[in-house]
Amino acid sequence: MRRFALAALCAASAARAAVSVPPEARGNALFDHANAAYLSGDLSRAVAGYEALLEEGVVSPELETNLGAAYLRQGKRGLAALHLERALFLDPSDDDARADLLEVRRGNVDKLEGEPEEGGAEALARVLAPLPGRAAAVALVALWSLGWGLLAAYLLRPRPSLGPSAAACFVLAAAASLVTAGSATSHRLTLRRAVVVAPAAPAREGPGDRAASHFEVHEGTALRVEDEDRGYRRVRLANGLSGWVSSSVVEPVVPPGWSDQHRQ
Amino acid sequence: MSRRTGSAIAALLVASAAFAAEDVQVSARTDVDEVPLDGTLNLQITAAVSSKGDQPELTLPDLKDFDVVSRSQSEQVAFTFLNNAPSFRRTTVTTVKLAPRREGQLTIEPARVTYKGRTYKTQPITVHALPAGQTPAPKRRAQAGPPPPLPDPFAEEGSLDPFKDMHPESRDLVLRASVDRDRPFVGQQVTYSLYLLARINVSGIDKLQLPRLDGFWSEEVEAPQQLVQEARIIDGVPYRAYLLRKRALFPLRPGKVQIDPAEVEVMTGFGMLFSRSSTRRSSQAVALEVQPLPELRKPAGFDAGNVGSWTLTASVDPVAVAVGQPVTFRLVAQGRGNVRNLALPKLGQISGLRSYDATTNDKETIEQGQVAGTRTVEQLLVPERTGAIEIPSLSMDVFDPAQKVYRAVRTDPIRLDVHAGPANPSSASQVPAQNLLAAGGLRPIRLRMARVSVEPPPWTQSWFWPLLAGGPVAVAAIAGAGRLRRALARDPAEERVKKARSAARARLRGAEELLEAQRRGNASAADFHAEVARALTGYLADKQGIAVAGITREELGRELLARGHPSGTVRAVLGVLDECDRARFAPGGADLSSQEARLERAGRLLGELDKVRRNG
Repeated sequence: MRRFALAALCAASAARAAVSVPPEARGNALFDHANAAYLSGDLSRAVAGYEALLEEGVVSPELETNLGAAYLRQGKRGLAALHLERALFLDPSDDDARADLLEVRRGNVDKLEGEPEEGGAEALARVLAPLPGRAAAVALVALWSLGWGLLAAYLLRPRPSLGPSAAACFVLAAAASLVTAGSATSHRLTLRRAVVVAPAAPAREGPGDRAASHFEVHEGTALRVEDEDRGYRRVRLANGLSGWVSSSVVEPVVPPGWSDQHRQ
Repeated sequence: MSRRTGSAIAALLVASAAFAAEDVQVSARTDVDEVPLDGTLNLQITAAVSSKGDQPELTLPDLKDFDVVSRSQSEQVAFTFLNNAPSFRRTTVTTVKLAPRREGQLTIEPARVTYKGRTYKTQPITVHALPAGQTPAPKRRAQAGPPPPLPDPFAEEGSLDPFKDMHPESRDLVLRASVDRDRPFVGQQVTYSLYLLARINVSGIDKLQLPRLDGFWSEEVEAPQQLVQEARIIDGVPYRAYLLRKRALFPLRPGKVQIDPAEVEVMTGFGMLFSRSSTRRSSQAVALEVQPLPELRKPAGFDAGNVGSWTLTASVDPVAVAVGQPVTFRLVAQGRGNVRNLALPKLGQISGLRSYDATTNDKETIEQGQVAGTRTVEQLLVPERTGAIEIPSLSMDVFDPAQKVYRAVRTDPIRLDVHAGPANPSSASQVPAQNLLAAGGLRPIRLRMARVSVEPPPWTQSWFWPLLAGGPVAVAAIAGAGRLRRALARDPAEERVKKARSAARARLRGAEELLEAQRRGNASAADFHAEVARALTGYLADKQGIAVAGITREELGRELLARGHPSGTVRAVLGVLDECDRARFAPGGADLSSQEARLERAGRLLGELDKVRRNG
């Protein structure tokens, strides 16, 4: 369906223009086409268009937000939550994605009981995630290096103005380090974050169909992937409940292509 | 109020109750599961109705695999006055002796019992016919399933004839107390019966006084409101026997127990026309020896109240439910025995199920003289997760006094299927607002798309951490280089200042050695004083920068005062130097003790001079 939509769009574009279309313009046209389908209520066509863009390698928070909304309107809560989480990963300040994700979670089947295991870290990461972590990291390096440079100058040739300047640099560097630490924590947690995309799946005691199951997880539930073995993933919910689920029922928020880049 | 039997009110009550209750129970059983081809088996069909009027009509099944050898029928009518309501129960037992016609699995089809226009069926029974001459296995006893059939009251093991060993010796009226067993186990039912035997006409009884039944849990079985006579021949003398009371007793403790005599006032005669008289009679005491429950193969933690013939069943309603919706777990113990003393197993914590407090309901019945009952425990369970949840099997150990064995009765595990509930179950019940503008809902989609590249964050880049470490490393290197440079570039004058005190102390130690040499005659006082003077002048030259040799004492004093030394110290220094000069140039003027004092003063002055220098 996705390929069909892409081919149809390309054919239509070629017939209209009879010239080669730059990839970016073609992507924008497909996005418009999918948006039009969404607004007309043709959700299947909208989803196919958005998915085709993803296959093209387009990375965009708006694309992920729209795809999440389309899946939610189709009733596919798991896929909706996944793409909205991806939108927030790409742009933590995206309020629309955050609001839609809250809407998804409101209808989740799974309601967690008990205290969150990493409550403090999760809360800090959530608060600091919208802050510009990358800029803060660069500022941290700059301020930190400048502070030490001023201190070195003071040691070599003491002047009254050098000491306070170095102290101010260190204070600003400390603030930048706080923002950077929050972003790094958020980033680390997001790399292990996944969403249940299957309607329901039993969580088992071990990686195998014959292992006993003590609870089920349902689509839309966010969890943390801790291990992987023989087609199964060991997952942990926010309240500490853990089990092994089939790898196909959960999707990581950061897809392999993105996380490979992160590991570079 | 007098409880005189034979009253008209009681008769009316009995009649109305007979029409009220029409409970029908039909069952069939065989005495064996296997029968050899040359043997026979007994098929017993029991029909019990709660009415004394109509009789149930039995139709035997088509017994094509069997030959009917014989057929007999017995009937028992029981009257009970239970919960202030009289009731009749008519039990018809039809026994058919059957001989199999062929080997293999044979089925006895259901028998039909017609009662008041309705037809009731028994359950089919399967019997295995063995080759001729083969010995069949004893009849199996199921641990679960329907409750065991009630025992035949005329053939019960251990039951005693109430008039056994009785010799009225031509007495006209005898009150007879009896028990159906005299060596019961703790918790086993003992039926206590009180009969009146009469050879004369009895018109009624009054003031029946039963004995205290300490040490027993007792239940009323029969309390006839009307005297019903039964013909008995005892020691060759015809008597009329009247049942006055029948109670079920459950012994609570082992040991010997005596039931005291009962008493009753008996009225004789023929009513209004003939003279009536009353006479008082007492029964004999009854002795029992209550046996403790056997220790052999007694299960650990066995509850002494679980005596009798019990079955245990469990159910859950409904078995498929949405998460968060309650289900009712029902545990039912049914059978014969003292239901009020029964201890049922408890449902433990089950993962995924929240359980609430259980409620217990007991129902007691009297069937053919036996106390039976049902204890029902109901518990509300609320599933907290979806999926299949298994409610485990529950087990209870019971002691069956008829078989004299302990056995475990258990329920089957139950599977509860929990599925997800609707996302917003309460929305349908909400009253719609005129124009509800609540927050929430999907946000509009974005119409512009901005491409982003997923760059690895700076803290995962290879340059990040070395750059952070670069500043501190550079400063440390600068500081270390300065320190090294200072260490390598030494000033001789500064060196001298640093070593002035230690040099002066070394000279004073040399003067001390010269003092020792004087004592041995190897040195002179001039040498000693010259060394002390060198110690002081050397120190002043190195530390204070004062060349003592080129200046007068007055100039030296001014220099020292200018450097902040106290005038006393300055005077003392000048004094010591003068003394040393005098001793050097005018020998023989100083003894050893004065030299020692001078040496000590010089050492003290060095400390005072150094103190000012350090403070300055």
